[in-house]
Amino acid sequence: MFSVFFLSLLCVIQENPFKNRIVESFSEDGAGNLSFNDFVDMFSVLSEMAPRELKAIYAFKIYDFNVDNFLCKEDLEKTLNKLTREELSPEEVTLVCEKAIEEADLDGDNKLSFADFENMITRAPDFLSTFHIRI
Amino acid sequence: MSYYNNSGGYNNPAYHDSDTLQIDRSPPRKSQHGNPHGNPYPREDGAVLRERSDLHQLPGGGQTISDDAQGRVPWGGLQEESWRGEDCLPVGLLPPQSESPQWQHDFSHSGYQVDQKAHYDTTPLVRLPSTTSGHVSMRFRGSRKMSLFPVGEAALCNLGLSEDDVKNEMDNEEENLIKELVAMSTRDRIKAIRDLPMTFADKKHIRGQVLVFKSFKKSQKWNCFADCSKTVTLSFRRCGANMTLAGQTLELWRGTMKEVGGKFGTGVLSYFKFLKWLLMFNIFSFLVNFGFITIPQLVSDPVISAEVNFKGLELLTGAGYFNQTVLYYGGYSNESQGTENKPEYNMQLAYFFTIAAYMLLCGAALIYSMARSFRKRFVLDDKASGGAWQLLCTWDFNVTNERAVRQRKNNLSIQLKESLSDNIRLALLPLSDRLKHYAVFLGTWLLSTAVAVGCGAAIYFLCQYEKEAVNKSSGSLVDEASTLLLPFVVSLVNLVVPLFYSLFRKIEVYSNPRMQVYVIILRNVILKMSILGILCYYWVTDVAEQFPCWEAVVGQGLYRLVVMDFLFLMLGSFFGEFLSNVIGTNCIQSLGVPEFDIARNVLDLIYAQTLAWIGIYFSPLLPVIQIIKFFVLFYLKKVSLTRNCQPPRRAGRAAQMQTIFIAILFFPSFVGAVSLLAYTVWTIPPSESCGPFRGLNTTFSAVHIWIHDLEDVNSARWTVWVFQHVIQSEIFYFLITLIIIVFIYIFWQITQGRKQLIALLRQQIVNEGKDKAFLLEKLQDLQKSKHSKPKPKKETGNRPENESSPGLLQALLARQQMEEEEGRSSTFGVSMPSDRSTSTTSSTMVHAMLLRQQADSQAGSYRGVPFPAEYPALSPTSALIQAMQARQMAESEDEHHRTPVPSQNPVNALPSTMIQVMQARQRAQLELDQDEPYRAPDSYDDPILPTSNAMMQVMQARQRAEEEEESYRTPVSPWLAQQQLQDKYNDRY
Repeated sequence: MFSVFFLSLLCVIQENPFKNRIVESFSEDGAGNLSFNDFVDMFSVLSEMAPRELKAIYAFKIYDFNVDNFLCKEDLEKTLNKLTREELSPEEVTLVCEKAIEEADLDGDNKLSFADFENMITRAPDFLSTFHIRI
Repeated sequence: MSYYNNSGGYNNPAYHDSDTLQIDRSPPRKSQHGNPHGNPYPREDGAVLRERSDLHQLPGGGQTISDDAQGRVPWGGLQEESWRGEDCLPVGLLPPQSESPQWQHDFSHSGYQVDQKAHYDTTPLVRLPSTTSGHVSMRFRGSRKMSLFPVGEAALCNLGLSEDDVKNEMDNEEENLIKELVAMSTRDRIKAIRDLPMTFADKKHIRGQVLVFKSFKKSQKWNCFADCSKTVTLSFRRCGANMTLAGQTLELWRGTMKEVGGKFGTGVLSYFKFLKWLLMFNIFSFLVNFGFITIPQLVSDPVISAEVNFKGLELLTGAGYFNQTVLYYGGYSNESQGTENKPEYNMQLAYFFTIAAYMLLCGAALIYSMARSFRKRFVLDDKASGGAWQLLCTWDFNVTNERAVRQRKNNLSIQLKESLSDNIRLALLPLSDRLKHYAVFLGTWLLSTAVAVGCGAAIYFLCQYEKEAVNKSSGSLVDEASTLLLPFVVSLVNLVVPLFYSLFRKIEVYSNPRMQVYVIILRNVILKMSILGILCYYWVTDVAEQFPCWEAVVGQGLYRLVVMDFLFLMLGSFFGEFLSNVIGTNCIQSLGVPEFDIARNVLDLIYAQTLAWIGIYFSPLLPVIQIIKFFVLFYLKKVSLTRNCQPPRRAGRAAQMQTIFIAILFFPSFVGAVSLLAYTVWTIPPSESCGPFRGLNTTFSAVHIWIHDLEDVNSARWTVWVFQHVIQSEIFYFLITLIIIVFIYIFWQITQGRKQLIALLRQQIVNEGKDKAFLLEKLQDLQKSKHSKPKPKKETGNRPENESSPGLLQALLARQQMEEEEGRSSTFGVSMPSDRSTSTTSSTMVHAMLLRQQADSQAGSYRGVPFPAEYPALSPTSALIQAMQARQMAESEDEHHRTPVPSQNPVNALPSTMIQVMQARQRAQLELDQDEPYRAPDSYDDPILPTSNAMMQVMQARQRAEEEEESYRTPVSPWLAQQQLQDKYNDRY
């Protein structure tokens, strides 16, 4: 059973730009070593049935590269570079990230807290269907 | 801080966690954390200081006080008193000496420890009264204790709380959680546990606990029956779960769907889901019709004399041989089947009720899925379509194909670049350009509507032509084939005109790409509906009057349309997708690989389904054709997609599009079909020579006759009563309509109210965020000043005596108290060593401010004072200004209506508060002069000039505080920002 899961995992997230972050955020030690329980967690969160809150928490963790519980500009820049194959010029990257923060930041601290992120997600109904891995 | 949660239902634990954690993770504090009630100021001296540290050592001393202060602050109007109690700026007399150290103490705790403590202590407070369902509160509580933010948890432990405290709190929470879970029913409990935002291991633990608790409870009233029933329930549940699993495995096209989703993303997948959903409708329709209409007909009257031979062309035209079969309305008899022994099977009623029931069920299913989809996905306020959304919400985790991933990345970067340039371009748009855009909109709309109307007219004339052709027809193959002209033209229009519409994309400029999609959809819907409307008009007027068996003729027409549409869909995917792929890859590279146009394809499906719904009365077995069509279409589209297409370039909001498609399927399509059917059934006389309803005035008279028959049967009296008093009575419909309208109005009002509430809550979030930022800043600043070298300072109290105005007196008292404290609590060194007295004063002031802020933020309504930007350069002036500001704020609630202070000050026109500030300023200056005479730059005789600058600042700050409560932004000085960064840096390494 485990090996089946593992193989499917390999197929499913191999091409994902965030694969390292996914594995890291689900591992208990934060270094990417998954126990079986972590494994189950991962699939339950990425399944269709998982509640929005849970998905939001893990999505936030995935995007939070430096694990400071905030999505700061640095995180967004990393995300953007992963999402665009580093095709944008540094100025464009900065501009996009600043715009993103400005849009989503409700409390004006120039970084996105979990509340900001969750608020954004409630307004993006696609998120539930896109943050989902089919096995 | 812990009261953010109470503010009107926005309970968000992680927000809460995270904002406190950020401050509290600096390593130097760890040493203090070991002892929660320890003295955080180890280098104090002087008698007063010792006294204070004694206070510290009291078990729970300041801690409890502060806890009380925070705990006492409920949500409502009490906060003012409580912050006054906590704040050290008294109104009136000087406080007893011991109070200020306490306050000091309080403050230091509320910064580092109490905050966390209160965070846990107020668990009952956190439970909103509105969360009546235990589920919500439970999830909430679970999420606070959860370990999903592990850093946060660790930081909690590093804080002033000892491990035991944390553990106790967590245990408490867990206990409550388990109690709630135990109270639930099994099904609810399973769902609740599944939805807990915890890790798998935690869930397992909780479940185990719940089960143990439950069995313990149960063991008291244990008996055999309970055990048996438990086992049975359990096995049923397991069986159900297995069935679900099996169902999932056997699900139609599961693998294909996954493949499509993996390669093309959720947007394209939604097309296939839609296709499958429609297929299910048709399968259901086929089963119902076949079971209740066709089988009885076949059983009773198996063979209709096959006079016409099968020629092959019938597959396209549906005429000839098929005309004699049960495919059409004409093939059914009006007789009641069954002999004397067996019960009767009334064909008329079966026909009527089957179709009516199917339509009702379809309507219910549509409304249900539409409403659910609206509730889930269609979000009211939807401004986040820009960068943040593109960055964080658009990545499709479904996509597993390497090529698709690459393509997606490309698309995203193009999109981002476009949006950047769009922003610049749209911002600079002059009026003439905008007018031009409006003109273009008008032109395109006129053109598209004209095209739709023109198509409708052309089709109507074509219908007239066809009618004559059919009348003159001699039955030859050519005549039969000529009937295909009309469906051919209709399908051609359906194929070509949307392409023409999509050309408008080149000339129209929309600020929002989604708007463009909506407009295109709207135009296509108008086109299709006008075509179908014309056809229906032709059928119910001309055809119904002219042909002897007109229902069958309409059925044939629909059959032809469905088949032709099918052929055109196939041709469309061949020419539209395959050829343009070939051209795009081999001939003209610039065209590129065609995109899969979700909107156009879904609209085609909706059109096809509309035809099927209209046709169901005239041709009960039309769903068979439809099923075959959709089945083939699924594979065709899948192959065409994987071979020829690339995923759509713009990552549209698939979920919202889906909602809109369902809405379109419901509103013009289904409602149109139903109204046509209703018109047919209630008003048009059925044909005399064929079909189940031959000889009746209208189709519905079959029901009348049935009711009439039922009147003789005693047991069916109620049916008759219902029919006569409900179905046939106007007053019933009148009442129903009235009630529905009233309900709609009420719900509409509720929605409006909720919208307002949402806006308010959003505003509240914003305000509290600002509070938080401000407090964080101050706190960090404070931490900095605490770590630098402490500087003892002698008390400089030198109180002026002769004050007449109470306001002034109070201001001075406050000032006095500041200075006294400054003497005692001068542990704070500030970066400006040159003037110690004032800098310590200022830090005291900062404390005052902070406490004030905290009280304010608890109250939820922001009344903070913006710190002037020159704050870090702690000059005596700015310190004083801050002192005055704090004072002002402290007084602002009850000092507003005081009379202006009688004074010798020339600036009498100023408001009384200002005067007070000025006077206080003078006094303070005086004190300063006495204290440090060598520094005194200004003389008492001329107080206005040197203070005017300060005055201005005070006034500005005051005004800002009063007027800009909402739009206020915390000014962040570069110095503070730097500090913050450094702090963060320290925290991390």
